[in-house]
Amino acid sequence: MKFLVSRYNPDRDAKPHMQAFEVEVWRGMMLRDALLEIKRQDESFAFRHSCGEGVCGSDGVNVNGSNRLACITPVADLKAPVEIRPFPGRPIIRDLVVDMSQFYAQYKAVEPWLVREDPMPEQEILQSPAERDRLDGLYECILCGCCSTACPSFWWNPDKFHGPQALLTAWRFLADSRDQATEHRLDALEGPYRLFRCHTIMSCVEACPKGLNPTRAIGHIKQLMLEKAI
Amino acid sequence: MSRKASGLKAWVLQRATALYIGLFTLALLGVLLFDPPHGYAQWRDGFADPLIGIATLVYIVSILLHAWVGVRDVLIDYVRPLGLRVTLLALVVLGLVACGLWASQSLILVRLV
Repeated sequence: MKFLVSRYNPDRDAKPHMQAFEVEVWRGMMLRDALLEIKRQDESFAFRHSCGEGVCGSDGVNVNGSNRLACITPVADLKAPVEIRPFPGRPIIRDLVVDMSQFYAQYKAVEPWLVREDPMPEQEILQSPAERDRLDGLYECILCGCCSTACPSFWWNPDKFHGPQALLTAWRFLADSRDQATEHRLDALEGPYRLFRCHTIMSCVEACPKGLNPTRAIGHIKQLMLEKAI
Repeated sequence: MSRKASGLKAWVLQRATALYIGLFTLALLGVLLFDPPHGYAQWRDGFADPLIGIATLVYIVSILLHAWVGVRDVLIDYVRPLGLRVTLLALVVLGLVACGLWASQSLILVRLV
């Protein structure tokens, strides 16, 4: 099967170019296996990967135009020639390895931890099953970056717009019954950029390899903001 | 005044005006389809009715506000140089105000003539 892989070496190349590789496909082969095979053919080829089972979120790449996790993308589902590029919009460090600093900075900016005003109890803070259910579809995010780097609003304003990943996380903590910083979190999201650059394009929903829905989370944040404003 | 341009307000305004524009347009289409006015005199009498006149004025204002939020969004997304962005925003405001004044003038004239 033919693979076209984006290559870029900052010491040598002015801009990225595509290089063709021929890889023998076996039954059950994932895209990560194909990338490893390409690396066997040319050891200067660089890409990130670790767990190999869709948990660590390291091997996000752009495959035939869609952001995917290579390790859980069956090669059999892909149309040949398979075009593999780094995440769009991110500065390329080498080949498929991109600089995700802005993505992590946006994650950090939404204060992804529980904030308590009350004194901490001796034991754990209890939640009802219903309160716990509100976190389903939110806590599963593995920060692979497939969503935010598929978002046009994040391409245009990655320094100011939080992006779908960070906003999903923002809602994950707003929705948490144990968190007591609702007003502070909502105030921090006001303004035209951080939250409101989202135009519900929904590329994030299509891209998420975990089947999460950042657009819905963003809608919940807007609704909560409105409730608290009137 | 806040240093930040509005986020929530603009978003709510866009949705609220969209609702009104949608409803008014449906009503307008209904009238044009089932009970269209014949001749200028009937048009004028229709818009001279205070209720219809006010509803139309609100419609015009809604379109202006809706267009303002939408165009502002596009310019914020795509136009990065500050000078160019401010110039374009100012031109859009002037254009929208001109349109609004022209439309309002027509509505007022209808009541005077």
